[in-house]
Amino acid sequence: MAALLLPATLLVLGLLVAPMAMLFRISLNEYSAAQMMQEALTAENYLRAIADPYYRDVLGTTLGVALACTLLALLLGFPAAYWLARMQSRWKSLAVILTLFPLLVGNVVRAAGWMALLGRDGAINAALRSLGLITEPLALLYTTGAVIAGILAVVAPYMILTLAAVIEGIPRQVEEAAANLGAGPLTGFRRVVLPLALPGVAAGCVLVFILCMNAYATPVLLGGPQFKMMAPAVYDQFVRGTNWPFGAALAFILLVVTLTLTIIGSTVLGRHSRSR
Amino acid sequence: MFTRRSALAAALTAGLPGLATAQSGQVVVGTWGGDYGDLLAANIDKPILGPRGLEVVQDVGPQDPRKTKLIAERQARRGSMDVCCLSDVDMFTMAQQGVFEPVEEGRVPNLARAIPSLKRPYSAPHIYSAKVILYNPAKVPTPPQAYADLWDPKYRGRVGLVDILHLQNMEAASLVAGGTEHDYEPGKKKLMELRSLDVKVYPSNEALAAALKSEEVWLTIMWLARGFMWKKAGIPVEHAVPAEGATSICFEMAVPKNARNRDGAMAYLNAALDARAQTAFADRMGYAPTVTDAQLPPELARQISLTPEQQAKLRTPDYEYIARNQVALIDFWNKEFKR
Amino acid sequence: MGTLTLDALSRRYGATTAVERVDLDVAEGELVALLGPSGCGKTTTLRMVAGFIPPSGGRVLIAGQDVTRTPPHGRNTGMVFQSYALFPHMTVGQNVAFGLEMRKIGRAERETRVREALRLVRLDGMADRLPRQLSGGQQQRVALARALVVNPAVFLLDEPLSNLDAKLRAEVRFEIRALQQRLGLTTLFVTHDQEEALTMADRLVVMERGRVRQTGTAEDLYERPADAFVAGFIGRCNLLRGAPEGPGHFRAHGGALLPCLAAPAPGASVLALRPERIAVATEGEGLPARLATVTYLGAQTEYHLDLGGTPLVAIAPTPPESSRHRALAPGDAVLAHWDPAEARLLPAEPGDLPDDTP
Repeated sequence: MAALLLPATLLVLGLLVAPMAMLFRISLNEYSAAQMMQEALTAENYLRAIADPYYRDVLGTTLGVALACTLLALLLGFPAAYWLARMQSRWKSLAVILTLFPLLVGNVVRAAGWMALLGRDGAINAALRSLGLITEPLALLYTTGAVIAGILAVVAPYMILTLAAVIEGIPRQVEEAAANLGAGPLTGFRRVVLPLALPGVAAGCVLVFILCMNAYATPVLLGGPQFKMMAPAVYDQFVRGTNWPFGAALAFILLVVTLTLTIIGSTVLGRHSRSR
Repeated sequence: MFTRRSALAAALTAGLPGLATAQSGQVVVGTWGGDYGDLLAANIDKPILGPRGLEVVQDVGPQDPRKTKLIAERQARRGSMDVCCLSDVDMFTMAQQGVFEPVEEGRVPNLARAIPSLKRPYSAPHIYSAKVILYNPAKVPTPPQAYADLWDPKYRGRVGLVDILHLQNMEAASLVAGGTEHDYEPGKKKLMELRSLDVKVYPSNEALAAALKSEEVWLTIMWLARGFMWKKAGIPVEHAVPAEGATSICFEMAVPKNARNRDGAMAYLNAALDARAQTAFADRMGYAPTVTDAQLPPELARQISLTPEQQAKLRTPDYEYIARNQVALIDFWNKEFKR
Repeated sequence: MGTLTLDALSRRYGATTAVERVDLDVAEGELVALLGPSGCGKTTTLRMVAGFIPPSGGRVLIAGQDVTRTPPHGRNTGMVFQSYALFPHMTVGQNVAFGLEMRKIGRAERETRVREALRLVRLDGMADRLPRQLSGGQQQRVALARALVVNPAVFLLDEPLSNLDAKLRAEVRFEIRALQQRLGLTTLFVTHDQEEALTMADRLVVMERGRVRQTGTAEDLYERPADAFVAGFIGRCNLLRGAPEGPGHFRAHGGALLPCLAAPAPGASVLALRPERIAVATEGEGLPARLATVTYLGAQTEYHLDLGGTPLVAIAPTPPESSRHRALAPGDAVLAHWDPAEARLLPAEPGDLPDDTP
């Protein structure tokens, strides 16, 4: 068994840990305009990133967008997941494929679709104008709302399928038993379905939160140049500013914040589901 | 895109120079895709290098990842590219890292006929254009004369800039402020003025093009070549060469020191400077030839070239200044101007 | 507790009919079993009573109240599911208390009633366990307690014993019946096991393909089956196709002329005769027959008879070893005798007889 596990372990180490270790090492280097990077062991990059209100803002925006998207994905995804899980018709597999459909298109292509929808001459503004509801086009693109909608469209399938898998494991008879004992649909949901679906809620939220924290193409294309989230900021440092050490430090800050919140979130949800 | 056989051939060529003939084998060209890549293939790879037994493989992608790849492979004995295409500023920055072979007439004979001001010791100039003002003639009936006209309050909210040209925009602002291409500091104040005039910033050239087309914005700072293409695509723009002097943009090709097929790569650079190959880029993309013997039809030349007077005032970006300051400049752009 | 009335209750799924115009009255404190082969509509009927399936037609009345349009949580039925359907995230006590909570019953009373209910099903002291820590039989009793503690107007049991092993099943069957009688529960019970139904129910409803074939006590169904299907489904029965021939006789398709009850039911085409009502003898009165096989079953012996091409099965207590009858062997000539009143002429539908080829 150990002999079988060894190659896989080495592969994971090589593919996952080694690049991270290298990135961490880079984050301790010093930037130099002439040589791009000078070997050093300094926390300067981290201190600068934390002290800079600009990056605190970027991190704040990232957290806000990620939390909003996670919450919205949960609220919108739960009914869809429930419907999908309880579906018994032969169209069920088709419905699952349709749920996955948004993932078949790349983020950039999908964002282009949103741009066509939200732009000044986009479908929404054109429709509102032809209905005479507005005279001047609304600024829909390059707003926080556009980013949240765009990210939501990417992460919703992950949330729905994660929740649906767990809800499918809740026997329908258990819900019927609650109804039989006098629980209306809302009470039955709150007292029986939701507590039993909590592991799925936790898994879905963690997955979606991580995806949102690391969103790149959607904030760049739908948020516009003034809108900054962490992943595009990291990219800027690496390829536009060519400041690898600082970019690596930002990447690690993003990683640590995401990881910390993920652990806190799943611990709280996990404890909640056990205590019931 | 390597087959095992081609990788083996490349390894053999690299490892045993005596056995490999000078101009044969495979050349991997790191380039943009789209029109540029297609034109390279149609005008250089197939007609010129194909008959000489050089197989060209395009490694297509945006410029930023290509730069990153160069830096990442800097220490490697063998790189993944034989020819690297970059715009002039990035090419200089990379050359500073010492990643490129010297490019000389001895190995690239066509360099003898290149426009002297575009020649660099580390690269071959491929195509070039100039930074100009694009305006919507219906909305801006008096053609703008200078970058300074973009600061006219009557165009409040109607000036659009593209995010990726942050350095070029800062240089233009610096010229408006009476500064030079050697110092962008004076431009910062000017940019903040433009910001208070509700300048719009777009994430990509395509987004800017859409905004120009929908007449959301009327004026911008852009490459002449791109203006030419947009006009062809039905976007309502004309160009005006700024009185402050246009700044050149040159797309260059260089050979990384760790290229597997350095001789093939030099042959590629030479072919790119071939007059026949150069004119195709002018017609399709609006970029002017970098060699003096390439002849353009007069009508086309009028649309994409500068007059001799304008040519005389053409500025070359101060690559060294940019390379030294680009981290601080992008910080200003992101943190102050765009916020 | 109250009465339960089904009035022409129907359920259709597109072109197929799952339940067709079922009428039933369950008196207060009565246990009625819905019995039938799988797919006969018995579970659909039960679920319509609970409110999980909306009927396509007809009405459900609980304690005289029309609840046809009432959602499940407003019906005050207590259901025990085949899978028990305990809430896995709640303790036994919380499971049992759930229905009381829904009825806004105060904590103190709730705790008393939960304790009583658990004592009733002999699970005192188990209140803090989680369902997964209990055996199948214990889980089943939690489900019973949970359904009973709310004093439901109607008690519904959906194959509650099918997940228990055979030994436990007999025990629990008795326990449920005792509980039901002690508490006077109006009960509707679904099962496919006729022994279970016969031993537990006051009355049985035999269903087949969505329709009620007969409603009655165990004795009614066994002694006076309404048709060939019921006769064949409840207990063992010789079912012979043929036609009445004059009063008191029936000509079987095999050719034999058999004595039977004088007044046949209209449209009768099947003669039904219980095997244990046939006497097999070597002398005396009776129809001559040849023994095809003799099967010793301990207390009983099963004789396969051939009445000139008409097969008949007889079962009789195994004769003592001293008896001449012990020596009967295949090929022997015997006499088969029965009281003609035991041989009933019944109507039959295609598919009612096991060997029918419709």
